[in-house]
Amino acid sequence: MPDLNKTDMAISLKNVHLTLGAGASKVHILDDVSLDAKRGESLGIVGPSGSGKTSLLMVLSGLERPDTGSVKIAGKEITKLTEDQTASYRGKTIGIVFQSFHLIPNMTALENVAVPLELAGHPDPMGRAREELAAVGLSDRVTHYPGELSGGEQQRVAIARALAPEPAILIADEPTGNLDLVTGEHITNLIFKAQRERGMTLLLVTHDNGLATRCDRQVRMRSGRIEIAETKTKVIA
Amino acid sequence: MQSLSRKHYFQLAWRFALREMRSGLAGFRVFLACIAIGVAAIGAVNSVATAINAGIEAEGKTILGGDLRFELNQRVVSEPERKYLTGLGTVAETISTRSMARRQDQSDQSLVEIKAVDGLYPLYGSLKTEPMLSNADLFKNINGRFGAAAPQILFDRLSLKIGDTVLLGDGIFELRAVILTEPDSLSEGFGFAPRLLISGEGFATTQLERPGSLVMHAYKVKLANDTISAADLKEQAEKQFTDSGWRIRTSANASPALTSNIERFSQFLTLVGLTALVVGGVGVANAVRAHLDSKRNVIATLKCLGASGNFAAFVYFIQILMIASIGIAIGLILASGAPWLASSAIKSFLPLDVSGGFQPLALLLAALFGYLITLVFALLPLGHASLIAPTELFRENGFQANGLPKWPWLLAAAVFALFVAGLAVLTAKDRYVALVFIGAAIAAFIILRGVSSLIQRLAKRLPRVRSIPLRMAIGNIHRPGALTPSVVLSLGLGLTLLVALTLIDGNMRRQISETIAEKAPNFFFLDIQSIEVDQFAQLLATQSPKGVVQRVPMLRGRITQLKGVDLEKLTIPAEASWVTRGDRGITYAPVPPENAEVVEGVWWPADYAGEPLVSFAAEEAEELGLKLGDTVTVNVLGRNITAKIANTRKIEWESMSINFVMVFSPNAFAGAPHAWLATLSDPALDAKGDAAVLNTITKAFPTVTSVRIKDALDVASKLVGQLAGAIRAAAAIALISSVLVLAGALAAGNRTRVHDSVILKMLGATRRTLITAFTLEYFLIGLATAIFGLAAGTCAAWFVITSIMKLQWSFDPIVALTTVALALALTIGFGLIGTWRVLGEKSAPVLRNL
Repeated sequence: MPDLNKTDMAISLKNVHLTLGAGASKVHILDDVSLDAKRGESLGIVGPSGSGKTSLLMVLSGLERPDTGSVKIAGKEITKLTEDQTASYRGKTIGIVFQSFHLIPNMTALENVAVPLELAGHPDPMGRAREELAAVGLSDRVTHYPGELSGGEQQRVAIARALAPEPAILIADEPTGNLDLVTGEHITNLIFKAQRERGMTLLLVTHDNGLATRCDRQVRMRSGRIEIAETKTKVIA
Repeated sequence: MQSLSRKHYFQLAWRFALREMRSGLAGFRVFLACIAIGVAAIGAVNSVATAINAGIEAEGKTILGGDLRFELNQRVVSEPERKYLTGLGTVAETISTRSMARRQDQSDQSLVEIKAVDGLYPLYGSLKTEPMLSNADLFKNINGRFGAAAPQILFDRLSLKIGDTVLLGDGIFELRAVILTEPDSLSEGFGFAPRLLISGEGFATTQLERPGSLVMHAYKVKLANDTISAADLKEQAEKQFTDSGWRIRTSANASPALTSNIERFSQFLTLVGLTALVVGGVGVANAVRAHLDSKRNVIATLKCLGASGNFAAFVYFIQILMIASIGIAIGLILASGAPWLASSAIKSFLPLDVSGGFQPLALLLAALFGYLITLVFALLPLGHASLIAPTELFRENGFQANGLPKWPWLLAAAVFALFVAGLAVLTAKDRYVALVFIGAAIAAFIILRGVSSLIQRLAKRLPRVRSIPLRMAIGNIHRPGALTPSVVLSLGLGLTLLVALTLIDGNMRRQISETIAEKAPNFFFLDIQSIEVDQFAQLLATQSPKGVVQRVPMLRGRITQLKGVDLEKLTIPAEASWVTRGDRGITYAPVPPENAEVVEGVWWPADYAGEPLVSFAAEEAEELGLKLGDTVTVNVLGRNITAKIANTRKIEWESMSINFVMVFSPNAFAGAPHAWLATLSDPALDAKGDAAVLNTITKAFPTVTSVRIKDALDVASKLVGQLAGAIRAAAAIALISSVLVLAGALAAGNRTRVHDSVILKMLGATRRTLITAFTLEYFLIGLATAIFGLAAGTCAAWFVITSIMKLQWSFDPIVALTTVALALALTIGFGLIGTWRVLGEKSAPVLRNL
């Protein structure tokens, strides 16, 4: 995990603008967005479809490069990095959980979890992956392929994969969107438990206001702008 | 990623690629088949050719009939030459010529290739006959009749059996055995007529060797010791006897003409095999593109988890190479069996053992071509894959791999394409042909790409039609991701090749069987002695009152120097090598030949008596770089004669009338013994008339050799037919690749069609509307491709026939119709097979996944 002691700020976005398309089809996706998140803090990002939630996650994880503005992750300005440097930094610093799991179908659960560790040159990727699968309760599913797992199990493998490199930041994009209520509840608990125990910064994109309120802060987005950010008790912006 | 060492980077990519292989080879069937077929074709052709050449090399001494072979035309060795030869070791002598073998009742006759041997024959290998007799029993004189052996074909042709007699010149021979294997037949060159094997003593009774007769004496030497190599002895003999004019061959070069022809033919078939591989390359590209398209999420996931785009592409690069290796291995297994499969067929026309024919180098070459073609065609889709954005995991952003990948991928693909071209040129015997092939392949790709783009543009600009199915068909032709480029490229290449080869074959055969046969004289008569030539002409005139008889003196000579430089020191262009290779017929004339036109220089006066002059064939002079005033030295009857080129003539070789590359001024050969050559042209003579003339002439002039041109043309036509069969088989492989690629492309297109047809059915389209639309689409693409294939193939065939072969061109409409029908049958057939399945798809599961 990158050294966050130098700064308490895990995420720092300043005046980020993002447009997609060109000419008449040009669309402002993010419009002068600024956002900070401290180490160990959890943020629930809510808003209607097309408000820019997912785009915000993509900018934060270096998958999308903003037109202007600054994006600092764990104290490092990532907009200045090359594509490969960003990929490498992301692999070590940010864990991502997707709505559709995105496990690699030809790899077992264990191999899926080991992928980011192998890419980062971890000395014992399989041992570490085994521990992470045990932590999400899937010790008995290590040799199973994604197609042999239930939706909930697949999402747990995805969480284990995101947590394996011990990232400073965990990003979850609608992690329960493809799951039933009960399974969704289990997955949510797992994410919050991991966040608390590992002191990670959590960014959770969700349509579910109830789920967002479990975070330390909620960020409401509309038309590419942060409309409001509030803590569990009071509005702060 | 950056922290990984190079070694770990490769290890990790290898590990990930192996994991990807777990999904098996589904989706790669066309890929595998295309690579396997192309590699098998190239590997098989080269394995068989190498096995034959290895057989020739291994049995060099047997094929040559000795360690060294000295050939002389129209004369026996001089005493000093004989002394030199006998000093080398054991010398066996054979005499070869052509003549007419007649039934004893003189009712029928046949041209035969006579070989008279001595008691030492053969020095290497063994003569196999049925019944198996010793040389003495086979050839000895019994009751005034020497013995002879011939292949079964001569027995059949003259309705003879063992024990019957044949007349040869003035001699009479008893046929005592059927030849099964003649060990040194390959070194004698291509024979138009069946062999007749007799003894030297028997030959002397025929009186066939007379001044100027076309008789070759061969002296085969079995070296007494091996202290000096055969090659060194050859050089020594050439230096010691500069004027002897003998042609010396060593067992390392036992049958140069056969080796050269095999190399040329195998090169041609290799290029056709390479065409199959190149066509298959389109299938490789399609399969790789479809595979990577199905792996977009995996690539995006890997990039999300910290992999670079190049690493993700590298993983699939390894996977593609692994799959290519499987295809190549299948191809090599098929190819390695080819020499065994071909051995019995080869034995029927070549007395060689090619059964031990595992040829690692030939297979390595095929594998190398397989890998290079895979790389050329897989790198661009891989380059596109490296650009897949990880953001696709969050939202479908409609990434279309339409643009070009990053420059390193383009450069790598171009470098490997250059390697393919370089390898094709490097391994070719005729590099010019290889370069033309490469140029044509590149041009075909560019043109086909242009044609598909043109079809799409035309479809896009067509006015809106009222018919819904037609509108849908036209829309499908030009929409993004349309089948048009794949179908045009794959089918277009195959059809072009097929049309070109069919038209070349058809034109050649028509030329031989119709055009040449009409123009050519009925007979060539060889070895007419000077004292009998007038009498001979008179007899011909009585036999064919309306016929035209031409006669010219004829000698044999070999070019030894051009412009005063020894031939060995000159680089002779391939197209003119036939002029300088071995002996050529030459003549002299006081006036220009009637059938030739002097294009440069002037003819000598009829009573010219100055330094020897020569008239050279214009085209051949240009190919050899000869100009007026240059000198040509020929060795005739052991004498070197140097003549100055006085003029050049334009010759129509295909007229088959009497033509010579070199016509000398009469004083050049004053006093030299020679025979005459005559032709008889009489269009009124039918086969029966020809037979009557032949019979009369053979009876009256038994030592004159008569060649009926129609028989010779039949042999040539049969030979062309056999070659064309092999070429068509190779072209069929290219077409199979083409069809495979087409089927693969159509199958890949069906995925989109399932989506479209479900939506259209939901909106009220009937099955009939959809089938009509799809049929029209396939019809239009197939028709456009057929028109292109026909036009391009015709242009290529026209170029080969008129510019390279210099023959008359004619177009065959049946080829056109067959091509169009084949293209439509393939596109509509394969298209509808897939579409039928598409229309049967249930809507609900598709709609749920939209």
